[in-house]
Amino acid sequence: MLSATGIEVRYGDHLALRGIDFRARAGEVSAIVGPNGSGKTSLLGAITATVPYRGAVMLNGRDIAGQRPWELAAQRAVLPQAARLAFPFTVLEVVRLGLQAGTSGARDEVPMLALSRVGMTEHAGRSFQDLSGGEAQRVMLARVLAQVWAPVADGQPRWLLLDEPVASLDIAHQLQVMDLARDFARAGGGVVAVMHDLNLTALYSDAVTVLSRGRCLASGHPRDVMTDDTLSEAYGCSLRVSVPPAEGLPYILPQSAAQW
Amino acid sequence: MAELSGVVPPVRNRLGRARALHWGLALALLGCCFLSLQIGAADVSLTALLGKVARGEALGAMERIVLLEIRLPRLAMGAMVGAALAVSGAVMQGLFRNPLADPGIVGVASGAGLGAILAIVLGAMLPGWFLALAGNQLVPWAAFVGGWGTTLLLYRVSTRGGRTSVATMLLAGIALGALAGALSGILVYMADDQQLRDLTFWGLGSLAGASWAKVLAAGPLIAVALCVAMFLGRALNGLALGEATAHHIGIDVQRMKTVAILAVACATGAAVAVSGGIGFIGIVVPHLLRLASGPDHRMLLPNAALLGAALLILADVIARTIIAPGELPIGIVTAVLGAPIFLWILLRRRGFVEV
Repeated sequence: MLSATGIEVRYGDHLALRGIDFRARAGEVSAIVGPNGSGKTSLLGAITATVPYRGAVMLNGRDIAGQRPWELAAQRAVLPQAARLAFPFTVLEVVRLGLQAGTSGARDEVPMLALSRVGMTEHAGRSFQDLSGGEAQRVMLARVLAQVWAPVADGQPRWLLLDEPVASLDIAHQLQVMDLARDFARAGGGVVAVMHDLNLTALYSDAVTVLSRGRCLASGHPRDVMTDDTLSEAYGCSLRVSVPPAEGLPYILPQSAAQW
Repeated sequence: MAELSGVVPPVRNRLGRARALHWGLALALLGCCFLSLQIGAADVSLTALLGKVARGEALGAMERIVLLEIRLPRLAMGAMVGAALAVSGAVMQGLFRNPLADPGIVGVASGAGLGAILAIVLGAMLPGWFLALAGNQLVPWAAFVGGWGTTLLLYRVSTRGGRTSVATMLLAGIALGALAGALSGILVYMADDQQLRDLTFWGLGSLAGASWAKVLAAGPLIAVALCVAMFLGRALNGLALGEATAHHIGIDVQRMKTVAILAVACATGAAVAVSGGIGFIGIVVPHLLRLASGPDHRMLLPNAALLGAALLILADVIARTIIAPGELPIGIVTAVLGAPIFLWILLRRRGFVEV
């Protein structure tokens, strides 16, 4: 279980999150959606202890505030929005960076397996700085997967915390990445993903939290949360949600670009 | 992990190459040490002396002095200073995530320079007992205190609420460097002829004043700083991904930055104090090593220590033999060798790295 209670995030005078409660269960893909500036990344920042916050974040029953970085790193891996690398490390070296200190012996097996999961095996020896945006994103995902390779360790679930994991990917790789996230959850791990694509969210998530202007508008199963009214209010434009009987999952059609 | 068989293509193992390079550099350093003891303005060579010892002949006083009191401390100081400058450069570049960063950039070297110039120009105004006590140690220690003070001030300016902003630190370093330069300029204006001469030679950098006293003054500081720096490899690798991601993969970023800054202040301050402004070692050495065996800091830092020491010893041999019995300041040699390489790095860079 990952739970955040009464989370406030402030940047100078701007209150980005105004007291949010958020829960994610192991075994599920939990999505966070909302318009630009609604506080999605701030919420993920609080959960990952990247930005200063008020409130409490509990990871597997322990407050993250009292834990050392390496303790947290053993329990959860974080995929950032955009990755820049300062020095010409190779793809394999970048994936290795996620491994805990002291991991030795068959040191390259997990990174190579992680690379094969994202279809980047043949690029292992290339310089990371030469990759395209989408390739770099997939290598970063491999790094994150390698960090928490076993979804359950010592009887505790491990967590993937993903900030827009499919942002710069083509549609085939979007599905590949979301499949990986779902597999991780099905194997007992927990996944929290900040998402922009509402249809992918409906297709892959077990729980959705809708943020708007730093508040939580709704949260629950996609079928219950992703409604015309909630989404239209959150995004400030007219959205039509349908549920085709064959799939039983909502899909979202924008009605017009005009301000709602 | 049978799943893996067949999917692993041959990937260049640069860490293995870096380890091989390590032993190669160790041998090269030994070679440079031999050269440094063998060659010099005086007609004294290590092999001839060893031959004498082997034959059971006594060494002459002159030979003994040249070897033990001139060349050996000079060799020790060259190794110390070279290793300190190269490792400080590598750590700074990792910290700033910029391959062109150098202790010179964050003002440590300028601060140390100001300290030295203060001591040279205004030292005579100090009370006589103090001068008697300080002796010829006054300039090195003033340089060290100047570098240290600059680092503390810089750290104070760029740290808010326990977080150090690298961008602020870089800008503050430029400002402090300019201020130190301006104050140094005023002092140079006040200096008399003899002082100007001292200033010029100190500023160009030289190992000419090497003595066991200086080795003992700077050695422990540099040794401690280098030992500490060797443990920063994994953290600096993580920092290449940015501070947030470094934290996410388990690195205590704030503590690492504090340790790295202190180590650099110590090593650079002590090196500048005994040898003056020797440039380019801190940029050129890590860059060459990254080209040869990749940017992994776990091997880059120890290799930088070896290559830095070897290069500076070699540069010193060149500096004191090329116009023998005269001697070039070593800073001129490193600049002539280093500046073109620095420009070459700039030309070859594919993109700019964000600070």
